[in-house]
Amino acid sequence: MFGNRQFLILLFAALAIVPAVANPYILYICNLGMLYIILALGLNILVGYAGQFALANAAMFGIGAYGAGLLQVKLGAPYFLAAPGGAILAMLVGTIIVFPALRLSGIYLGLSTLAFAMFSQWVLLHWNSVTFGGGGFPAPHLDLSPLPIGPDLGIYFLSWIVTIALVAFAWSLVRSRIGRSFVAVRDGEIAAQSLGIDLLRYKGLAFAISGFYAGTAGALYAPLLGYVSPEGFDLFQMIIQKSMIVVGGMGSVLGSVLGAVVMVTVLELLRAFKSTQEIVFGAILIVFVMFRPRGLVTLLQRLPGWEEPLSSFDSRRMLARAAAHVSEPGSPRYPAGRDLVDESRP
Amino acid sequence: MTMLSVRGLSISFGGVRALSDVSFEVGAGNIVGIIGPNGAGKTTLLNTISGLNRPSAGEIALDGVSIAGRRPTEIAKLGLARTFQMSQLFPGMTVLENVMTGLHLRTRAGVFAAAFRSRSMREEEEATAQKAWEALRYVGMERFAHQPGTALSFGQQRMIEIARTLISEPNLVLLDEPAVGLSVNRVAELGRLLRRIRDEKGVTLIMIEHVVRLVMGVCDRVLVLNYGVKIAEGKPEQVVADPRVIEAYLGSEFDAARRAS
Repeated sequence: MFGNRQFLILLFAALAIVPAVANPYILYICNLGMLYIILALGLNILVGYAGQFALANAAMFGIGAYGAGLLQVKLGAPYFLAAPGGAILAMLVGTIIVFPALRLSGIYLGLSTLAFAMFSQWVLLHWNSVTFGGGGFPAPHLDLSPLPIGPDLGIYFLSWIVTIALVAFAWSLVRSRIGRSFVAVRDGEIAAQSLGIDLLRYKGLAFAISGFYAGTAGALYAPLLGYVSPEGFDLFQMIIQKSMIVVGGMGSVLGSVLGAVVMVTVLELLRAFKSTQEIVFGAILIVFVMFRPRGLVTLLQRLPGWEEPLSSFDSRRMLARAAAHVSEPGSPRYPAGRDLVDESRP
Repeated sequence: MTMLSVRGLSISFGGVRALSDVSFEVGAGNIVGIIGPNGAGKTTLLNTISGLNRPSAGEIALDGVSIAGRRPTEIAKLGLARTFQMSQLFPGMTVLENVMTGLHLRTRAGVFAAAFRSRSMREEEEATAQKAWEALRYVGMERFAHQPGTALSFGQQRMIEIARTLISEPNLVLLDEPAVGLSVNRVAELGRLLRRIRDEKGVTLIMIEHVVRLVMGVCDRVLVLNYGVKIAEGKPEQVVADPRVIEAYLGSEFDAARRAS
């Protein structure tokens, strides 16, 4: 059976072959696509699963890139220390946003986090002594010497490994009690609290994980581009990420991957018509919100093998076993409740 | 043994006094009904016990532990579970996953265990799914395990909510109008289920209910609220004969007419 798991394996196998067959431009686009998979996953965990309508992930992306870049340039840290540093910095900053999120929800949370993103953009532009201001700064390319791998291939395969790890991480996480708690917080805060799900802890966790994903993507972006400047982390960046999870599918790991792949392709096809990018993105976003609000992935989820349960346990198989166990003589039965309620829908 | 004791409980919203000086005790293993006209403060009382509202004054103790003003999460940890008047199933989950969330406080797996699918996490997931299925079977809903909960009727959703509370092995369950959405001939079966929960699982139940037949049939004691004040308490048959209760529901003229006839 070809299900979502096989699709992901095939996708990453194909991405592993790309360097052997593609020109440097295609390689760069594929690399960028993987970073967008990470970004879309991070945003989807926060918005799609935990239901926190936050618009600060572009800023976290920037903080990750600046963190990794500046730790190398200013402090001379090696990349393999600077990159986690940038990701963790973005995670910490992301976590702080949970405090407004405890009081605000929906559009109000969106606006306050957008204000935060604008503020961080302003800091990047004006805190010249640290951030080099609006002009940005050149970030070192990935130097893997003495390994015989060039910087382009090096960052490509590093991104490949990290992306697979983060997809697998998200895949497992949402199918656990943590993922179920995120969905519970999204679907009903009052019921979630009554079940003992701590809103502060799980909202904080969602913001932290989301920030970490965005920061990691940023830390990979700095050496990929070889240059860090504020303009990559603006409002349009946020719209790109948001449209990825809307097009792919909110509350779906596979949807995040699909959305990133589709939208990066659209972005590149429109590269020649730079001024139309915003218009086309806006139009795609509106069309999807109106006609397919749960994204492309809903087309696939009707097929067997494409469902995304919130439990890592194959409960269908378990239920068959449990049913067999029940029919053993001597095990308790409770037939009284069997037809307790009407089958009719309200 | 006292499972819940409420003493001098008052709560105001702005200038509105929703509950004033309400006191009562619920013995362990009892089924207690709360009745009263609309707006009497019944749901407010449940919300205050479960921590969603902060009392302005008064003391609430669950199994001897003071819980007044504590957060809902902490109170849930002490063994209190509840259902809601409007179904509060999570629309994004199947019925089974919904019931699995009921076990949140009794499971441990953290972010890293979950992300790396540790052995203990996988075993815990299996045990959780198994228990959830058993809880569904207990209320007769297991055949809906893989459907989205919100596709079911109100009555079925209520049963699943009851399964979700049972799975955490609570000491006390608060039910807000469990018979809403049930057809008349199913109410008696709900009554049998509630009795079974009490008898087999030793759970203390407090329920708000308007269906008099259910209250009369299963409740050991009944508490009557009117305008936020407790106006009567006692055995169901005493309470429904109490003139103050009849007056609260139907007005004094009706009671006078009834006496005259």
